[in-house]
Amino acid sequence: MGIGLLHILFVSIALFFIGVYGFLTRRNMITMLMSIELILNSININFIAFNKFLYSDKLDGLFFTVFIITIAAAEAAVAIAIIINLYRNYKSIDIEDADTMKY
Amino acid sequence: MGPAALILLAICGIAFAGGGILLSRALAKKSANVVKGEPYECGIPTTGTSWIQFHVGYYLFALIFLVFDVELVFMYPWAVVVQKIGMTAFAEIIIFMFILFMGLLYAWKKGALKWM
Amino acid sequence: MSIDFLILMKSEMSLTLIIFILLSLKVFTNDKNHVALLNLTNILLAANFVFGFFFNASGELFNGMFHTNNVIALEKNILNLGTLIVSLQAFDWLKNHKHLLEFYVLLLTTLLGMDFMISSGNFLMFFLGLELSSIPLAALANLDLEKRKSSEAAMKMILSSAFASCITLFGISLLYGTTGTLNFAEMPKHLTGSELQLFSFIFIFTGFAFKLSAVPFHLWTADVYEGAPVPVTSYLSVISKGSIVFIFISVLFTLFRSFEGMWYNMLYLTIVLTITIGNLFAIRQNNIKRFLAFSSIAQVGYILLGLSSGTGAGATSAIYFLIVYTFSNLGAFGVIALVSAHAGKEEITDYKGFYANNPTLSWVLTISLFSLAGIPPTAGFFGKMFLVTAGAGKGNYVLVTIAVMNMVVSLYYYLRIVRSIFMDKNETPIAKLKGSNSIKLALAVCMIGVVVTGFATGLFENINTLIGK
Repeated sequence: MGIGLLHILFVSIALFFIGVYGFLTRRNMITMLMSIELILNSININFIAFNKFLYSDKLDGLFFTVFIITIAAAEAAVAIAIIINLYRNYKSIDIEDADTMKY
Repeated sequence: MGPAALILLAICGIAFAGGGILLSRALAKKSANVVKGEPYECGIPTTGTSWIQFHVGYYLFALIFLVFDVELVFMYPWAVVVQKIGMTAFAEIIIFMFILFMGLLYAWKKGALKWM
Repeated sequence: MSIDFLILMKSEMSLTLIIFILLSLKVFTNDKNHVALLNLTNILLAANFVFGFFFNASGELFNGMFHTNNVIALEKNILNLGTLIVSLQAFDWLKNHKHLLEFYVLLLTTLLGMDFMISSGNFLMFFLGLELSSIPLAALANLDLEKRKSSEAAMKMILSSAFASCITLFGISLLYGTTGTLNFAEMPKHLTGSELQLFSFIFIFTGFAFKLSAVPFHLWTADVYEGAPVPVTSYLSVISKGSIVFIFISVLFTLFRSFEGMWYNMLYLTIVLTITIGNLFAIRQNNIKRFLAFSSIAQVGYILLGLSSGTGAGATSAIYFLIVYTFSNLGAFGVIALVSAHAGKEEITDYKGFYANNPTLSWVLTISLFSLAGIPPTAGFFGKMFLVTAGAGKGNYVLVTIAVMNMVVSLYYYLRIVRSIFMDKNETPIAKLKGSNSIKLALAVCMIGVVVTGFATGLFENINTLIGK
């Protein structure tokens, strides 16, 4: 039995929820950013798999993936720049330390 | 099927996971030395600790590199079809490169490309 | 083909042109006169706003990826006007700010993204517009680089908005898997209502609710609004929110029309929670920006109430309310921006006895707050009335009763601020403030807008006929 669509979707769903879990439990901002990248990668896998197995006559899914990759890079760049600036102000990248504003 | 199956499943799971760890601990040859404790066992020996501070300038370069590097992914699909489409595709990529070039000029102006 | 391209994308083209003019100024010149630069930018933005009324055409480009028509042109005009007012209000803050041109380049980039988003005809274009409008906003929130609150707000914003777009994207990917297309025009044919499609719709709805800061996805809003610089906050609360409402209308009403029974229930729950929690939390705030954050959450609940009707009247009332909301909210934020730029005070208690030294500004703030509360002579009353009427069209009177009861609650907290402005005694009230002409002009425009849009009954009819077409 070859690897079918279902197997790949299984991987992508698992990756998605690992990312969500990481985002919600991790306290380090860089790690949270990495969790977001995991989620985006799971979405990429979804698009590629759907495109290859179901709609291989068009390339919609592939192009979406290319755009997601570039936007993820831009997002990561801005987020890391913001985190570096936050580090200069707070001397910490723990999310619990950035608690000037509450409720 | 019932609670018995669930308990059996739990026992099997624990046995499978724990058994592997115990077995490897029992069978593996134990040797402790300095080289084994290093993060990389091959290549040249590392010097100093790995917890040194990097200069923040590295991050700036890394960020700029990351953005420009990834934007080039759009050049690949363009390269496939450029001969078929012709001048329109060429004009479009010139506009695209121009926008990126403005970003580079901005980074240059801000002094982000200067090594401190 | 090439002429079509220029006319249909004219608002994007003019914005891109302005962005490149400002970027070239940044790159190629050194010593800058800030006042002259600000005036130049404001003139360019005003020209852009006026240009938005001419050469409007309907049509689509790039195989339906980009489409425009009269309603979308109107929506873009509203966003342009809001940006112009925000830019005028930012004058006093930016005059001494080091990163003036960066502010405008980032601000207009987000506006460009919003324009692309509301005229998108494809999920790819929608996603690009959404990200183009949300990533630079986080950088904007961080523009007061050395302030702790500002960087904290930016961090919260980028992490939560990235997470929200991940959720939306996951929904889009599943939807692509079940329908095989990303095109808004083709997709409804493939929407069968299978479980996976409903599941993916929930994901997309969640992403939208997150960007709209509807409860229970509102937690980032208050912190970001409090920490960001005042003009950025006003931009976030009016223009950014407005653009999401516009695209949400077309996504709900045309794309997911066949799921109406489902999204009505989801909206019902969201509206009740949003209005109630927004109002209850607004009562206990001490920071005025945070207070307006919760009040804007409650206002979003009313907009969603209009949308829940699922009719053209609902869409019309939402767009009409957004025009009113632009004027009244920016009026309130204009005064706050002035006080924050000159006196550096942002707490509600600082506004005690504000009337003693600044009678005109007090009246501007009061009228704006009355309009936000929906007190009759102001435009806010008509806006809310249309929204509630449209929401009542479905016959769900429980929902309408909750909404109207909450309007009474909101009256309490808006009037609390008005009371502290006019009646409360204060040993050290805010001294007489002398705002620049530009900020005065912005406040005058807002006041005229608040009064006139309420009485210009033709406006509502005009929007209605545009949508009906």
